[in-house]
Amino acid sequence: MSKGFTSSYRLILLATTVLVCFAGVGVRLVHLHVLDRERLVSYVDRARSSIARQEARRGDILDARGDVLATSRTVIALGVDPQSLHAEDEIKWPKLAQLLELPLSEIQTIFANKTRQTESGEIRDVRWIKLRDGIEESTYLAIQELEIKGVYGNRSYRRVYPRNSLASHVIGYLNRENMPSGGIESFANFYLKGQDGWMETEKDGKRREMAQFRHREVAAKAGYSVVLSIDSVVQHLIETELNFISETYHPQKATILVSDAASGFLLGMANYPSYNLNEYGEAPLAVQRNVAVTDLIDPGSTFKIVVASGALDAGLVTPETEFNCSINSIEYRGRVRQFMPDDHDHDHPLSVAEIISQSSNVGAAQLGMKLGEKGLYDAARKFGFGEKSGFQLGYESGGLLNTPDKWSALEITRIPAGYSISATPLQIHYAMSTIASGGQLLRPQIIREIRDEKGEGVYSFGGVSRRQVIKPVVAQQMAKMLMGVTEDGTAKAAAIPGYQVAGKTGTAQKLIDGKYSNRNHVGSFVGFFPASDPQVVITVIVDDAKLDRGRVNYGSAVAVPSFKRIAEKLISYLDIKPAVPGETANYAMRGLTQ
Amino acid sequence: MKPSSSHAFINQLLAYTIMMICVTGTVGLGTVWLRHQISEIANATKGMERAIAATERQIAESTARLAAEESPETLERKNEVMALGLVPPHALQIVRISESPEERLAAKRNMEIFAEEAVEGTAAVRFSLNSFR
Repeated sequence: MSKGFTSSYRLILLATTVLVCFAGVGVRLVHLHVLDRERLVSYVDRARSSIARQEARRGDILDARGDVLATSRTVIALGVDPQSLHAEDEIKWPKLAQLLELPLSEIQTIFANKTRQTESGEIRDVRWIKLRDGIEESTYLAIQELEIKGVYGNRSYRRVYPRNSLASHVIGYLNRENMPSGGIESFANFYLKGQDGWMETEKDGKRREMAQFRHREVAAKAGYSVVLSIDSVVQHLIETELNFISETYHPQKATILVSDAASGFLLGMANYPSYNLNEYGEAPLAVQRNVAVTDLIDPGSTFKIVVASGALDAGLVTPETEFNCSINSIEYRGRVRQFMPDDHDHDHPLSVAEIISQSSNVGAAQLGMKLGEKGLYDAARKFGFGEKSGFQLGYESGGLLNTPDKWSALEITRIPAGYSISATPLQIHYAMSTIASGGQLLRPQIIREIRDEKGEGVYSFGGVSRRQVIKPVVAQQMAKMLMGVTEDGTAKAAAIPGYQVAGKTGTAQKLIDGKYSNRNHVGSFVGFFPASDPQVVITVIVDDAKLDRGRVNYGSAVAVPSFKRIAEKLISYLDIKPAVPGETANYAMRGLTQ
Repeated sequence: MKPSSSHAFINQLLAYTIMMICVTGTVGLGTVWLRHQISEIANATKGMERAIAATERQIAESTARLAAEESPETLERKNEVMALGLVPPHALQIVRISESPEERLAAKRNMEIFAEEAVEGTAAVRFSLNSFR
């Protein structure tokens, strides 16, 4: 380099200046990154860092055919920041009002409301006013296309029940705070709710997320779907029948249950009164109760199957054993016991089969006496009375069955007729189901499968037998005797040509103010068919029906016709074939070697 | 002419400084470009995630709407409104076939074939007696 290029003085000055500049930058960096680091970092963290929560989508509730009974979808709460509105967008307001289904005047009033007065009298700008809640995605998309500055929405998941009141007591609901209430929503919440995700990220001065600074991201995991054994069509059939019952007889309440005879899975479970799951807030709590599992009734004559089965199983009687049922009282354990009278006189001694088909209280009481207090109590317990059935949805009552030491002298005549004992409709249904399944008491099941978000099975539930209650051969005898009820007994109206229908009527006086009422009854019919190869068990219970001309709410008057209508519809829907006697002599016991 | 040692040192220092500034600037600009690319990709990913989420939301909405339309209650109402007159089959209308439908159809087809051959005169079984001579 030539000397003329620069003088040493200038070079030294330039080099010194550069070095001083670098030193200055260095000093500042040390100050920022070392000395004042903590204060600045905490300030930046506060200003830029944010933890974004990602809400997990709740799983669906599906019926046995895969139809959606409950699902989650996003809805938008639409609002406006009046400060951000532009005058040139005013032309779009009528279209917005149309999309929101609100009067234009209301929109204009809201948009003009730019300030508010606080309690202290201070005037503040309004930054957000809600226009409408629960807006669907498609509507919101149309609103966004209007591009009105300052109008925007916040998304949230909302539970929707596309079938409104269908199986409402089974499904339950999710309230506004996303808390499950009753039914599957509550029981299977662990599977349904999923796992929320979160993400640590940073935002800029305009509070927009800077995606490049995302770190530590945990993706949200959608909830599992729960597949029920409930079939929407069966459920609809029984709910339609309940509507008919309610419109015709104006009962206090009514319950219909349909279950698979072999596995115990419930195909339908409905109560009257019911409610719309999408409008749960309008339904009183009493209506939201699943009375099939919570409420107790006297089973009435349907309980006679327990007494007869117990006596047959113990070998104390045969279906042909006869009893004098024309008497009013009998001496038992040294004391005279009065019977509950039968509805009509009998001109000959009744066999056990006739006691069942004619529903004789006197005959049932004598069967109870054959069993004795302990034997009768044990038989009832074996059939599931006085204990919870283990129904998955919970809120279940165990019923009322006192131990024999608490029985009065009359109980031995009353309990066999289904009084002085209380049970839930579900317990009564599964007692009959025990006969249909060849003597096994099945656990009421309602969840078939748990599926992940891809629809693959995670866990499957199968039928569960609680215990063998009676011998298969006794169940076979009982099924034959119960066929007599529909052939020439108290439920002839339940007979379906070509099908062997087995069942039992029940009529129980209601206990009102401590006395059994002569005007208020619970009428019921519990049955299954085809008796030789049971496919379905159906229970119809109508509480306090009001019949014209002051007729009594006998099970045969109200419940039996409903049973028949449901059974006929199920025959075609479930393709239940008529059992041909002789060819499929498989009475009530699948898998029983004969 | 050979420069003095102090001049040479300063010239070298200046050259190195300029070179360092250039290198630092290049590295800085490279880093900025890299960060910008990261930002672009992150935003593109975010955009795609948003699009997927929007599609999933639309699917959920369609599923709910479809489920409502498929409900027995709605179908029955439409049946009534559109006067379609659809009713579930009655038990008497159902004819149950106990035999195998495949075998039944095969037998029916065979019978038709034989009937056709009988009409055409080709169904008769003939033996040539010449072959026995």
